Amino acid sequence: MAGVDLPLVNEPAVNPEWVDDLLLGGPDATVRLRLDRPIDTAALRRSVALAGDRLRAEGLVAGGTVALRLPPSLTYIAFLLAAWRIGAQVSLLDHRLTQHEVDGALERIGAQYVVDALESKGHRLCGYAEVVARVSAREGGRPAGTAHALVQFSSGSTGASKVIARTSDDLIAELARYDRLPEFPRAGERVVLLSSIVHVLGLVGGLLNALHTGAELVFPRRLTAEGILAAVAESDLPTTIIGVPFHAELLTSIADPAPLPQLRRMIVAGELVRPSVPTRFRETFGVALGTMYGMTELGVIATDLDGTRWPSVEPTHGMDLRVSGGELWIAMPASPYLGAQDPSRFVDGWLCTKDAAELDAGLLTVLGRLDSQVSIGGLKVDLTEVEQAIAALPAVREAVVLYDGGIQAYLSLTDGATAEQVQAALTETLAPFKRPRRLVVLPALPRTTTGKVVRATAALVAAEAASR
Amino acid sequence: MLSGFGDRGTGEVGETLDSLELTWLIAQVEQRYGVELELSDEVFAGMATVTGAVDTLARVLPGAQGHG
Repeated sequence: MAGVDLPLVNEPAVNPEWVDDLLLGGPDATVRLRLDRPIDTAALRRSVALAGDRLRAEGLVAGGTVALRLPPSLTYIAFLLAAWRIGAQVSLLDHRLTQHEVDGALERIGAQYVVDALESKGHRLCGYAEVVARVSAREGGRPAGTAHALVQFSSGSTGASKVIARTSDDLIAELARYDRLPEFPRAGERVVLLSSIVHVLGLVGGLLNALHTGAELVFPRRLTAEGILAAVAESDLPTTIIGVPFHAELLTSIADPAPLPQLRRMIVAGELVRPSVPTRFRETFGVALGTMYGMTELGVIATDLDGTRWPSVEPTHGMDLRVSGGELWIAMPASPYLGAQDPSRFVDGWLCTKDAAELDAGLLTVLGRLDSQVSIGGLKVDLTEVEQAIAALPAVREAVVLYDGGIQAYLSLTDGATAEQVQAALTETLAPFKRPRRLVVLPALPRTTTGKVVRATAALVAAEAASR
Repeated sequence: MLSGFGDRGTGEVGETLDSLELTWLIAQVEQRYGVELELSDEVFAGMATVTGAVDTLARVLPGAQGHG
């Protein structure tokens, strides 16, 4: 990562000027965000200042820590930028996580303050919410132990989430990588954003890039196919849709969409695109379905924004990639993980991605995962975490979780327990996107001759058929 | 309608609907019937299963029975 200086440990998080310099500049009257109403630069700066006043009034200072647990909203954006301007370290918690998951995450990061929603309006398929925020101090919270500005969580194979941290310099370097992509939206253009602004694609590729370049960022009123296209049609400015492959499939399910001459392209990331989708997208809308490859640890890594290299992607500026034993490794100046970490993920300055990949003449082709992580609508879920959560329930004797068109759990129950009890308990412990689509209760899980539980899909499906 | 999501056979669609399946279903219903569904929490809660979704849609889509 050329040009990025490593910040010193135990320093206040950042040079907070970067927020004003790189994100909140520009003419007062330029529309920056469009939620239920247009928000211009002056209004955005006012919202950020008000959020900053509330955080300071509670006692947040440079080098302090705050966790945001808010749905996508102006409130979320204002508190995020405000906390960064103060020089605090901000942890982002997906608002769909259960209280159990949130408690675990807060315990690990030791945030001093939490901002959550006292009230939230907006239906489930609305691209944004109206939020009344509450700022609370947490007992036992600690100031930042590192100079990272951003802390995010990813489903982890050890049962607990991975805690991933990035410095402001790292975020600035990612914005510079986007700057070098001429196909990526900038001033005078619009972005219709479908991805969550809590996760890296929507946060940096969507929100921060739009604020940085001056592109207008649009959150659709309805995240349905018609709603997304209506958001595109609202303006004549060249428009890029950013989402996950699911959204591209949703849009291509429309039979005869009205022509959208302003649609420049759609860009998706977060999981592999199924082979038929790019062609179908171009046939339906006459523009490219571009793809990106990125990770929470690093942000955008490689792109194919014109859809001409699919399924390959071209590394973005400064990315140093290699394939070792079939696994993609990426050079990084320091480990991105905070706290307890799996030592096999960062080795001698290389991030081991656990993605199977090929590098050929400088082009990267990602083939799939080498571990138990799957992607559900672009959100990463480690099947080991789901399996451990299920196996830990008192009603469950043993469980195997696998991915077969969706998350499937095969389990046997303790005496007298029911599948409904398991279902109910999981709503307390696992976020909706991590819960199995199907719970298959068997009298006992099939085992090998040596007594190990069988994990092969075919054997489990056969056991299910036999138990009927 | 749901089997179009991921090109599955109709037999492969389970009884419980996750949020992606629900989004897909709502988009297909709105397109086929040319309506904009009221997406209240109540409607969502009723549509967590295939059976519940059929009942809910029959209620919010007068005249839709028999075409799904």
